[in-house]
Amino acid sequence: MARALIEKRMDWTGIGFAAVLTVVIIFPLLVVGTWAFTNVWRYPSVIPQEFGLKFWQQTLARADVWSSITTSLSLSVTVTLLSCVICLPAAYAFARMEFPARNLLFFSFLAGHAFPKFGLLVAIAGIFLQLNLIATFWGVVLIQLVGTLLFMIWIPVAAFQSVDRRMEEAARDVGAKPFRVFWSITLPQAGPTIAAAVLLSFVGTFYETEGAWLIGAPQIRTLPVLMISFINNQPVIQYGAVLSVILWVPSFAALLFARRIISSGSFARGFGG
Amino acid sequence: MTVLPANDIVGTNKSRRPVGLLLVAAPVLLVCWLIIWPIISAIIRTIWLPDAAAEKRFSLETYQFFFSDQYSINNLMVTLWTTAVTALILLLICLPIALYLRFATNRIAAYVQGLAIFPMFVPSIILSYAFIRVLGPNGTVDLLLNAVHLPHIRSPYLTPWGPVLGLVWDNIPLTVLILLSGLGNVSNQSIEAARDVGAGRLAVLWHIILPRISNSLLVAVSFTVLGIFSAFTLPYVLGPAAPEMMGPFMQRTFRDLNDPTTAITQAVIAFGFCIVFGLFYVYSVAKNRAP
Repeated sequence: MARALIEKRMDWTGIGFAAVLTVVIIFPLLVVGTWAFTNVWRYPSVIPQEFGLKFWQQTLARADVWSSITTSLSLSVTVTLLSCVICLPAAYAFARMEFPARNLLFFSFLAGHAFPKFGLLVAIAGIFLQLNLIATFWGVVLIQLVGTLLFMIWIPVAAFQSVDRRMEEAARDVGAKPFRVFWSITLPQAGPTIAAAVLLSFVGTFYETEGAWLIGAPQIRTLPVLMISFINNQPVIQYGAVLSVILWVPSFAALLFARRIISSGSFARGFGG
Repeated sequence: MTVLPANDIVGTNKSRRPVGLLLVAAPVLLVCWLIIWPIISAIIRTIWLPDAAAEKRFSLETYQFFFSDQYSINNLMVTLWTTAVTALILLLICLPIALYLRFATNRIAAYVQGLAIFPMFVPSIILSYAFIRVLGPNGTVDLLLNAVHLPHIRSPYLTPWGPVLGLVWDNIPLTVLILLSGLGNVSNQSIEAARDVGAGRLAVLWHIILPRISNSLLVAVSFTVLGIFSAFTLPYVLGPAAPEMMGPFMQRTFRDLNDPTTAITQAVIAFGFCIVFGLFYVYSVAKNRAP
């Protein structure tokens, strides 16, 4: 009993992991956060000489920052909407209807995941080159749209399948039209999971860097692409730090809403675990 | 007649068959056009080259060039090295974390799990920036070492170790989740039974746990290999200019050297090196999921 109590209190392995992971994972991000709110930090001082918001004003006054925020948002919104329009009806069909080659078509969305992603992007870029889609908005939309397909079909299919069919049948029995059944019974039950899928695809698109860089640059400059050029060519450290904080906002939203889904086992099984 | 016969429902279902196909047509066509066709066309384009008279003929010269060019071979080698080292380090870090999380239930375990998953919510471009600020020249580690009068570290920034550290950091969450999901299949009874007959911790790990999660280990490795072999952002920002990993190499060949055929050859070679891992990964995902 006493031994069990001591073991319960002193989980040294856990404390060790927690300490190391805190240093390795949280500390670097805190350093970036500190840089973003620093006016002066000269070597070799361990803490900044002057804190302040000076560089927020300067960063937000830059035209390239605003144009890439606009580009990133309009790309992510366009891709997510298009993805909803083509994927959600397809997910409903996969979950509820019988048609030829259903399984084959369902698994075809995995095809892209059997190949290293950047190689695939180069192969697609080879085709876009002939179609004059390189360095255009719609070229980037297409390449990012392909990246959302698997999530936007597989997660909603699971959502539609978990809807209680007896409730739908009961609604039909009392005379509800098919659309009414879908709107009042199916959608409210499947809704939260579908919303998580939509959020994941929005955030995923927002941070998609490789496709935007390979297909879009230099005309289409998203926030992550701008961040690469800040890292490579910008001597003022704070610009990158402020942009990092701005850039993290959608991820933070995803963290708040999607953490439960990701922590659950079904998410890892989706990756083949 | 206002009351419909019951079998009419079955009838409507049958007439919906083409409707189902119609509903899935758009995403399926997109997959065919932007995934399957590019792969086929990449292979055709690189073995069916125009000769001096612009006549197309079968030729492997782009591949011969790749494997005879020392620079390309160095890039391939550094990619293979990075993939192997990163996968190994990832397993060495994530397996203990996953084992700990599988058997611990207290609050510290919840905190550790939260931390292990956290990198999933940090885009790799922010990670790159944080890496440079912490481990780069005059970074925080240098500051702290300087404050206690110790010599500077040799910064991994712009060396092959830069991408390795970044990729390990980036891949911790999914590796831990995949291994944890595999450890869910190991029953407490089997471990207790082994303990009862006097098996030590290592013996339990080696004889009871590892055989049961071997599939998850392979999935984690496959996923890592696929991700790292063509990683772009982290190697591009953190890695050395030469030799460069396949991702930045393909990008530079395609955009800066304006040589799509060579870039696509490099992509097909990357496909070749990953195909076993890719097929195994897709097979494992498909096995767990039926429509």
